[in-house]
Amino acid sequence: MGKVMLEVKDLKTKYITRFKEDVYAVDGVSLTIEEGKSLGIAGESGCGKSTLALSLMGYYFAPLHYMSGDIIIDGRNISSLDPDDIRKNVLGKEIAYIPQAAMNALNPTRRIIRFIEDVMKVHKPEMTRPEVYEMARKRFEILGLPEKVLNQFAVELSGGMKQRTVIAISTILSPKVLIADEPSSALDVTSQKMVIKMLRDLMEKGYIKSMIFITHELPLLYNVTDDIMVMYAGQIVERGASKEMVFDPIHPYSKGLMGSIIVPETGTREHELIAIPGTPPNLKKPPAGCRFAARCKFATPECRVYSMEMHEFGEGRSHRCRFSVEHLREVYANG
Amino acid sequence: MKHILSQIFHTGKFTMGFCIFMGILLLMVFYPLINPGDPLKIVSIGTFARPGTYISLYDAVDSRLNTLKLDEAPANRLESVLKMEDRVKMVMWFEAVEIPIGHLNIHDTEALLALWEEHYDSTVRPEGMTKADRNYFQRLDESLNRVLVTKEKILATRDASTAELQEIRAIEDTDYVNLKNVANVKRLPLGTDNFGRDVLKELVAAIRTSLVIGLIAGTIATLIGLTLGLISGFIGGIVDDIIMFVTNIFTVIPAFVLLILISYSIGQDQRGPTTVAVVIGMTAWVWTARAVRSQVISLRNRDHVNLSKLSGHNLFLIIVTDILPYIASYVVMALILQISGAILAEAQLSMLGLGPKTTEVPTLGLMMNWSMLYTAHLNGYWWAYFPVLLTIALISFSLNLMNTGLDQVFNPTLRD
Amino acid sequence: MNGYRKYFGKKLLWFTITFVVAVLLNFILPRLMPGDPVAVITAKSAQGMSEASAVKEVYEHYAREFGVNDPMFKQFITYFKNALRGDFGLSFSQYPRKVSDIINDAIWWTVALQLPAIIVGWLIGNTLGALAAYIRKGFDKVIMPVALFLSSLPPFGMAVILLVLFAIKLEIAPTSGGYGFDMIPNFSWPFVKSVISHYQLPFWSIVVYATGGQAIGMRSMSIYELNADYVKYSRFLGIKDSKIVGYVFRNAMLPQITGLALSLGTMIGGALVAEIIFSYPGLGTTLLAGITMADYPLLSATTLIITFMVLLATFAIDIIYGFVDPRVKAAQFDE
Ligand SMILES: Nc1ncnc2c1ncn2[C@@H]1O[C@H](COP(=O)(O)OP(=O)(O)OP(=O)(O)O)[C@@H](O)[C@H]1O
Ligand SMILES: [Mg+2]
Repeated sequence: MGKVMLEVKDLKTKYITRFKEDVYAVDGVSLTIEEGKSLGIAGESGCGKSTLALSLMGYYFAPLHYMSGDIIIDGRNISSLDPDDIRKNVLGKEIAYIPQAAMNALNPTRRIIRFIEDVMKVHKPEMTRPEVYEMARKRFEILGLPEKVLNQFAVELSGGMKQRTVIAISTILSPKVLIADEPSSALDVTSQKMVIKMLRDLMEKGYIKSMIFITHELPLLYNVTDDIMVMYAGQIVERGASKEMVFDPIHPYSKGLMGSIIVPETGTREHELIAIPGTPPNLKKPPAGCRFAARCKFATPECRVYSMEMHEFGEGRSHRCRFSVEHLREVYANG
Repeated sequence: MKHILSQIFHTGKFTMGFCIFMGILLLMVFYPLINPGDPLKIVSIGTFARPGTYISLYDAVDSRLNTLKLDEAPANRLESVLKMEDRVKMVMWFEAVEIPIGHLNIHDTEALLALWEEHYDSTVRPEGMTKADRNYFQRLDESLNRVLVTKEKILATRDASTAELQEIRAIEDTDYVNLKNVANVKRLPLGTDNFGRDVLKELVAAIRTSLVIGLIAGTIATLIGLTLGLISGFIGGIVDDIIMFVTNIFTVIPAFVLLILISYSIGQDQRGPTTVAVVIGMTAWVWTARAVRSQVISLRNRDHVNLSKLSGHNLFLIIVTDILPYIASYVVMALILQISGAILAEAQLSMLGLGPKTTEVPTLGLMMNWSMLYTAHLNGYWWAYFPVLLTIALISFSLNLMNTGLDQVFNPTLRD
Repeated sequence: MNGYRKYFGKKLLWFTITFVVAVLLNFILPRLMPGDPVAVITAKSAQGMSEASAVKEVYEHYAREFGVNDPMFKQFITYFKNALRGDFGLSFSQYPRKVSDIINDAIWWTVALQLPAIIVGWLIGNTLGALAAYIRKGFDKVIMPVALFLSSLPPFGMAVILLVLFAIKLEIAPTSGGYGFDMIPNFSWPFVKSVISHYQLPFWSIVVYATGGQAIGMRSMSIYELNADYVKYSRFLGIKDSKIVGYVFRNAMLPQITGLALSLGTMIGGALVAEIIFSYPGLGTTLLAGITMADYPLLSATTLIITFMVLLATFAIDIIYGFVDPRVKAAQFDE
């Protein structure tokens, strides 16, 4: 077992909307990632994937608020640090982030190199401008990005190039954990491949020590990450190794999610969730009991009353359903 | 729908704007009921009568008398003639003619008057004092005399044939009449204007015309803009190019200039409020067209629109069912802005003397224009222009507030 | 730089086209009206004249000018040529003065008044709008409605209020004119002093008017930018908030430059009417004279000059904007 890079214990965060309502978008998430490993997080739109990504950074600003839980990066608990400390010493250096809409993640009116200088001024104030330039140039070269990008504005780059630039900037300080929120979703197939290859390179060359990859496209995860977690309504419902998760999902929600994706060819991805009728619960007032009960084909009245914690059932696997693995397998087998 | 309405009213800005606007509408609807009649009727001979309550002296004389013994009456009487600024001027006169005033307290009415009576001489011409100043002191002296010298005042009638006066009775300084007993009392809360018209009544009528102008112009502008925007955005291609070409030209050529040229060419006699409204509407559509077009472009490749296209629905149907509902909130906001813009445009045109022809209806702009032409602002007749300005500002402010409120609801990026 | 030349060329072409259209409209609008324009116009203007010979001369001059017997196209060419040469004929109301002389006297007053006033209003408005967006809470609650109210007040309204307040009540500024009525323009100190003191009220009323509208625009723009993805991304790289606010305001401010170009027409219209309130010797007052005296050549030339000024200013702003905002470069240059 490798060294644990990131450990999250029972993390809870919420949005406070402008009507002063609370949205519990991350509600008790625990996870661990070891050095050299990558973890995929899947789930339908609105289940809280992006919110989880933001919450993991340990740096909160309105409308997102921290409630409870621990975030431990390489043995250091960052949830007890003060925000300015986190900003200076954790962000970018220890944990880095690639936002969902990386297309717009770069300030359109600032040259890329100026932005990198801004980042370095915070984390390595001793570096001079030529040093920063040299370092950025080298890193870009290794990652296969043209040097001239450094002197361009974000608006002058193509979508795929923007995305790769963002990845290069995010990882320029060689963080221990990289959180990539749908880094390839908005791209064409070629750019997608380049982005995936780049992330793999970063892992192999040791520029990042572990990675969380968020997406709603499961086939992608299967190829990219070691483990997969499935998220539903702010909670994790199942976790396991990628292959097992795809071919042997246990939780009824994972089952539905996988079933709807694996069967048809990629062209109909958009309609992936037709297989699970109904809508997710309102995160302002999450239901008691199992959150998936209202949509679950196999639910009993008890499911709506009693909730269940994650529990292990095999090598590195755990799930959140009240029913035993055997029971579920039997039910699935009988259609 | 209900949900949206409740959200809209949840924004303080919309609610505030709505309340102000409703207040103005209520005034517009109900004031004419309380105070009916022609708003352009000339009620005062002479210009700019001060706001207040006017009591018919003719009727007051014949009203039932009460005797009230009020201690402060003489002082009040004096006060109404001898204002603070008069006292200051009096001291200035003393200084001008070099009369030592010693420790005279300017508030000590008795001492001041005594000194005045002793020294004032209308024939003296102090150095540096203009004729206007001398006249002022003469008038002041006369009015002081009227109050101070208690000559007996009587009521009398004149015999028609002999021209002889026949005393009815003496008027005591303790005689009072009850306002209720006077047959003719006229309230002019905002006085009269340069023509002697009741300003408040005229203002209420002007609000109505200006709102109608705003509504007509706003609707025309919005309709033209909406149609062009829809066609241009939805059809695209050469049609879009042509429409955008025209729109871009009229974006840079100021609408204000076109308004002036057209209004001038139409001529004073042809310019009714409706004509003015139509002209304003026809020069103001540019913004709406641009905005609608960009909205439509972002909509036209959405799935539901494509679906409609594939099902062979005709253009009109697609626009009505698949596009319009999505930009409805936007169009409403555009309309609101157009209305407020048109009211301002009318006001500005009228300031240039190109407003609706002046004899038939009052508009806010015309009222403003007249009071400026008669220099109401230079002479302190605030009631003739300030309420008008305030009304224009409030109408426009309330519409803009409502617009901002709607924007907050329908444009999520502006949310807090 | 080739891209920029193309952009410049495009803008120049636009400027030329709009100018031709503006002249055409100026020419054609009065002629579209029913009836014989020369008869109508000279009948109007003849009221203002006592001398019979002058009336006759004006009539002949005008008939020649209008060239009513020529075909429309030829008339337009003559008109256009004269306009380009700055020859607008003789004034009716100030006969036999040349219209171009009258305008020449007025135009510099207007330029010297409105150009600085609009720029100052733009700067103050943008600062306030940015502050309102950034501070929100109390400041915004005050600034926003005040700005909205100020921009709702018609510009001549602001002028009247300032006039009454400062010139009549407080008597610290003159009520009308561009300089003391008893003075002859020269470069002596008393004259300059008089000009400056007459300048204040018209200047500030235009400033206040421009401020309101700009503040509101800037506020929405800044709020929009504050929610932009690059803000979140920059934060998660540890960049200081003050630096990020710098990005945001720069990005919000730049489009306000085009915003200014687009609202210039409306703004100048309002400002011209404000000039009238102070009988300022600029184009606004000339315009009013042209209208009230039924001096058609004067009116027509004034509107043409105003349009030309607006077009020129818009053109200049576009050119500057293309330089300073890389977003425009990206959007326009590679078309
Ligand atoms: N700024 C916000 N204020 C309030 N609620 C929010 C905010 N952002 C997101 N939410 C809510 O939080 C929940 C989780 O949103 P989140 O963006 O994390 O979903 P997601 O899984 O990333 O979806 P997607 O796949 O569409 O990106 C949703 O119900 C959403 O409505
Ligand atoms: Mg997301």
